[in-house]
Amino acid sequence: MIDSFPFDEWTDDIAAYWTFGPENSTGTYILTVLGIILMVASLIAFVLLERRKLDAQAQLLRGGGILPPASPTAPGPGFAEPPLAGPSTDPGP
Amino acid sequence: MSSLGSVLALFGQAPTVEELQAQVSLDSQILTEQFYFFTVVIMWLIHVGFMAYETGAARRKNLMSTAMKNILTIAVVTPTFYYFGWYIYGCFQPGFPSVGPDSLDWHSGPEAFPGFCEATAPWSAAMGPNLQDHVSAVFFLAFLLFSWTTGSIMSGAVIERIRLSAYLLLTVLLGSAVWITDAAWGWSSGGWLVTKFGFHDAIASLVVHGVAGAFALGVLLNLGPRIGKFDMQGRARAFRPHNTHMTLMGLMLIFTGFYGFYAACLVIQSTISPGWLNIYLSPATLGAIAFTITVGFAGGFTGGWFASRGDPFWTLSGGLAGVISVSAGADIYHPSLSYILAFSGGILAVWAGTYIEKKLRVDDAVGAVAVHGVCGFYGVLLVGIFAGGYPTGINSVPVSFGGQLMGMLAFFPLAFLPGFGASWILKKLNLLRVPPEVELEGLDMAEFQQDFYPEFERVPETIVLPDGQEVEAAPVLFESFAEASNFTAGTAAGPRRSP
Repeated sequence: MIDSFPFDEWTDDIAAYWTFGPENSTGTYILTVLGIILMVASLIAFVLLERRKLDAQAQLLRGGGILPPASPTAPGPGFAEPPLAGPSTDPGP
Repeated sequence: MSSLGSVLALFGQAPTVEELQAQVSLDSQILTEQFYFFTVVIMWLIHVGFMAYETGAARRKNLMSTAMKNILTIAVVTPTFYYFGWYIYGCFQPGFPSVGPDSLDWHSGPEAFPGFCEATAPWSAAMGPNLQDHVSAVFFLAFLLFSWTTGSIMSGAVIERIRLSAYLLLTVLLGSAVWITDAAWGWSSGGWLVTKFGFHDAIASLVVHGVAGAFALGVLLNLGPRIGKFDMQGRARAFRPHNTHMTLMGLMLIFTGFYGFYAACLVIQSTISPGWLNIYLSPATLGAIAFTITVGFAGGFTGGWFASRGDPFWTLSGGLAGVISVSAGADIYHPSLSYILAFSGGILAVWAGTYIEKKLRVDDAVGAVAVHGVCGFYGVLLVGIFAGGYPTGINSVPVSFGGQLMGMLAFFPLAFLPGFGASWILKKLNLLRVPPEVELEGLDMAEFQQDFYPEFERVPETIVLPDGQEVEAAPVLFESFAEASNFTAGTAAGPRRSP
């Protein structure tokens, strides 16, 4: 009979279980501190890693002369950007 | 006897009243748990939508850098909101510290939920696997999704020139500190604006949208426009979205997710009539707010269409603006009133977006300040006009124009100043904006070293000079930028400005 399962006992046993101990225990505080350290470290790492990437790419672009002075080119298949064309932000006069 | 036993007992002997009460209580808790769980699932679509919307609006060279902002919003706001954001909501509802013997009263939970403050600490039993608590975790998750939304609102405004890391730091500030502080003050049963002034913003016109828009405005003033956004005469140039269909699909996904957002703004309590409460614990119904959001979209689309003379982007943005304009009073507005007010909100968003871009010359890439910011504040103002006298909250403090104005006056500086201040600091540290060379080449090559449409040849952007010659755009724009901003290329340490 399913009703004979000691469900209440399981519930009590499981409710008493907590990773590294019950709430407000030393283990829980330690886990919280470790999580906060990871959070802060990842935020700092996001900044440092991106700065390294951007600086390297900017240096590459400057050194490679990828942005030469403006000079006329033959009209190609690309599109010209008219001063006020486009669908996004100009609702018209 | 276990709850399971009480169910089985129905087939044998008649259950006692106590057993039935226990069963009803358990069912009610599980219903609440399921309800918030599925609102969270639906609200994910908001973030899918924001990603598609912003990526579609970006130029081809900035696709993944745009999308990655939306994805990493989840990575940074989730832990920060868990570790301190939720605690702010639970414990800072009375407002600023007062002076005197009751000076610690600002740090306490709402009267309606004894122990709520303590339950929001990351080490509390409510914030983990707990068989005795079905509701706290899913309720937290619903608020977490709101927090992501505030970050996503800002992210669209700043695309194509902000550093990913700068955006992440700013979105942590917005999503895990700024918005949740204003939610504690004006979007809770114990918030001081609610209990003292009857502030009413039922579905978060201002506390989510308006605040995110005001924060974004503060950031945009320091970030500056994308290179080439304004010509030498100061006229705005419209950058062509690389995929308008994706942008519109993203907006439709946001709209779908909004139904989850709206639903999650209610408190479900199935054992007490009418079964639903708004965030201030005043009676409400799910049907009423679902009606309002649907009619709001209709009015907003219509207003946006006519104000923009049929522009697809602004028509759909008008729908969003319309809904935001009626969200504050969504629990009490008549559908006809919602329709009319949403129509006006759709028009207002187009006008405000045009003004912000062409007069203020602020480059808001997706109109977030107009749609979310302006219409968010507008929505709260409308409640003061059209729903004055409505008894808000457990103290039944009547809604008033003055009370709504008080909320607006409290929340604008609360949102704008941190956005402006934090972005100003990042700017001074040269951590806010990508180098101009990288911006012109495209952020994807610098951030990810690849083109995300590799099977299609990348065509250089061109520009038509005043003499009619068509030239490659990047060198012209770079020279103009250098001249206008007194910029000189720096060393490997990054660009510097000439003295």
